[in-house]
Amino acid sequence: MRVSANSFSDTLITQLGNLAVRQSRLQSQAATGQRVRLPEDDPVALRRVLDLNSEFRSTGQYSRNIARQLELAQASFSGIKGIKTLSDRAGEIATQVDDLKSPEELQFYAKEVTEMIKQAVHVMNATNRGDAVFGGTIADRPPFVMTLDANNNVTGVTYQGNTSLAETEISEGVTITTQTLGENTTGSGPRGLVTDSRTGADFFNHLISLQNNLLAGNIAGVTAVDRASLANDESNILYHISSNGAIQARLEATDALTRERGISIEAQVSKEVDADLSQTLVKLSQTQTAYEAALQSGARAMNLSLMDYLR
Amino acid sequence: MLGLFGVLNMGARSMGVQRAGVEVAGQNLANVSNPAYARQRVAITSSITVQSEVGPQGTGSEVANIVSMRNAILDNQIQSEASAHGMLQAKQTALQYAQAALGTQIDRMASGAEGASAAQGVGGGHSITDSLGELFSAFQSLSSNPTSMAERQTLMMKAESLASQFRQLDSRIGELNNQLNRTIDSDVNMVNQTLTNIASLNDKITRMEAISGGTANDLRDMRQAQIEELAKYVKVDLSSGAGGAINVAIGGVDMITNNQVVDTIETYTFGSNTYIQSATNDVHLTLNAGILTSGSIQGTIQARDVGIADVRSSMNTIANILIAQVNAIHSTGYSLNGSTGAQFFTGSDAATIGVNSALVTDPSLIQASGVSGATGDNQVALALAQLSQTEFIYGQTLTQAYSQTVAAFGQELSTVNNDLANQDTVDNMLHAQRDSIGGVSLDEEMTDLTRFQKAFQASARLITTVDEMLDTLVNMKR
Repeated sequence: MRVSANSFSDTLITQLGNLAVRQSRLQSQAATGQRVRLPEDDPVALRRVLDLNSEFRSTGQYSRNIARQLELAQASFSGIKGIKTLSDRAGEIATQVDDLKSPEELQFYAKEVTEMIKQAVHVMNATNRGDAVFGGTIADRPPFVMTLDANNNVTGVTYQGNTSLAETEISEGVTITTQTLGENTTGSGPRGLVTDSRTGADFFNHLISLQNNLLAGNIAGVTAVDRASLANDESNILYHISSNGAIQARLEATDALTRERGISIEAQVSKEVDADLSQTLVKLSQTQTAYEAALQSGARAMNLSLMDYLR
Repeated sequence: MLGLFGVLNMGARSMGVQRAGVEVAGQNLANVSNPAYARQRVAITSSITVQSEVGPQGTGSEVANIVSMRNAILDNQIQSEASAHGMLQAKQTALQYAQAALGTQIDRMASGAEGASAAQGVGGGHSITDSLGELFSAFQSLSSNPTSMAERQTLMMKAESLASQFRQLDSRIGELNNQLNRTIDSDVNMVNQTLTNIASLNDKITRMEAISGGTANDLRDMRQAQIEELAKYVKVDLSSGAGGAINVAIGGVDMITNNQVVDTIETYTFGSNTYIQSATNDVHLTLNAGILTSGSIQGTIQARDVGIADVRSSMNTIANILIAQVNAIHSTGYSLNGSTGAQFFTGSDAATIGVNSALVTDPSLIQASGVSGATGDNQVALALAQLSQTEFIYGQTLTQAYSQTVAAFGQELSTVNNDLANQDTVDNMLHAQRDSIGGVSLDEEMTDLTRFQKAFQASARLITTVDEMLDTLVNMKR
């Protein structure tokens, strides 16, 4: 093929241009560690990374949701534990009461039970980040309100929450609630902690009954009715303790899976977009050598012409 | 026999021929860097033969003509490929602008405009996909803490950021559309100017060749360069005119007939976009009419009306669905103070999307609860968060649909990049072939220069020799 003065320089310019583009691309890959950066680089990989990125963000959010639910579960557990302690003591008092106790002793026990009821109301009105823990989704007011008589004895405790619980998503399409409902007398839905019509649990009224029987010196009432009622309340509380524990264990297991998924996504993204550094650097070195060779050989060839040999 | 005087004339003619050779070599050397130039060669033929006593005898040489080393097939191919190259180049440029406007890129080392935001995504970057994801995450966080003012404020920030990104992107694409329309205007001016140049060169060539009878090589080179320049903008059809002229048609409409520009092209507006038509009869030449298949004008129109328009349309669809779906759910909910019925987003598409200013001013008005009076209820917030998993567009969620839009756009640009790389290879090969025929070689020209110089010296020596012989002849009578 005949080579003209321009075809030689044109070819050299094209070759140098191609090598410069290749060199720049490889240098950019080496500097960023990425093979894919823009949509045009690898549209299919980019699409997969965007989807993975979205999934990664979701897993992050699910982890935060789980952390929040664990916090709520622990707040509920604190309350349940407090109620359990009071239930234990009420059971003890109901067991200790017999015919050998003097009326003064019964009055002391009654006073203790009154204070226990007040303490239980306080526990059941606990809040987490300003929201009532045991009031269902009525978060902005205390779930339980008690009424006292002139002697400061508790005459009744009224529930002003509802029977709904807020569900939170902890993985795609999976929702969970870690809230514990204070009271449910509807016969359906989540079980109430202190009052539940299906199990017969009615802790506040049973404590009030104990208080009243002790005040009245009605030992038979305590032994025949209150002991059994309080034992029933205790079973209901134990159900909630185990239920709370199971939920916390589930949350922790889900969180571990979510984190593993996050690590796996990271690896997948890396596979899609990260450059193989050793391969990139070898190619960059080859390209730089070719660029230098093209410059050197081109410069040498362009310096020579017939004019160098004509007089 | 020529006789001594005949030989003297032959020497003189020969010197003229060699001088012409030196002139052409000089012309070639002078145009070595002119890309439009095709090297020329002196065609030397023997002069007439005369009868003599010893039979037919030569009378030396003469210049038959000066030939331009061109290959018409290659010229036509290069002109045709120039249109294809122009189209791909224009498409690539437009799509690369759009890619920059989209702002979607993967930057694994980014720290993000909001500190940790980019770190939340393994791919980094902060495009609409990220902002959509962050909006849904903010809905999730609100569902986890429905009474939290902090979560409500964060949600408002994320929603405003997303709305602002939609509007910015729409505005950028709108501005890009305007720029592309202006590019078409400018290209049309160039086409019309080039048509004038070609007609003018046709005129010069026909007149010059009519006078001298030869071929106006340099003018033809210039015309070929102008035709190739024209072909970059629009696909042209050529035919032979009278007296060496070339007739030019664009999209079947005659633009140059012999020496006259009989028509030009002009722009017209359809919708908000610019297209081209013939100026005289308003024949539509671009996309909708489907007449032109290559050239930069067609490339710009294709990129604008297909690749970029698809992105804009898809973005509007996504924004529209987002606004409608979020509002439909949000309006059924209850705020912390019990109000209901408020819209979350305002507007209807990417250009007009905004966030209800009442909610921005007072985030407690966000209607996260599904039950009146139950501030701790999160049904609405949860339903809003779960929109992120709902498939709205061809079995894809909103985030996936946007990713698909970006990927499809990237695929189109990637295809254009590959096509252009292939086209460059074809162009380079064709130009190399043409260069191998018509390109000037310094070595060849220097050799020719030396050859003609030596031949000129030899012809001069012939004249000197005849002169000496004449001297001898004249001095015989003494």
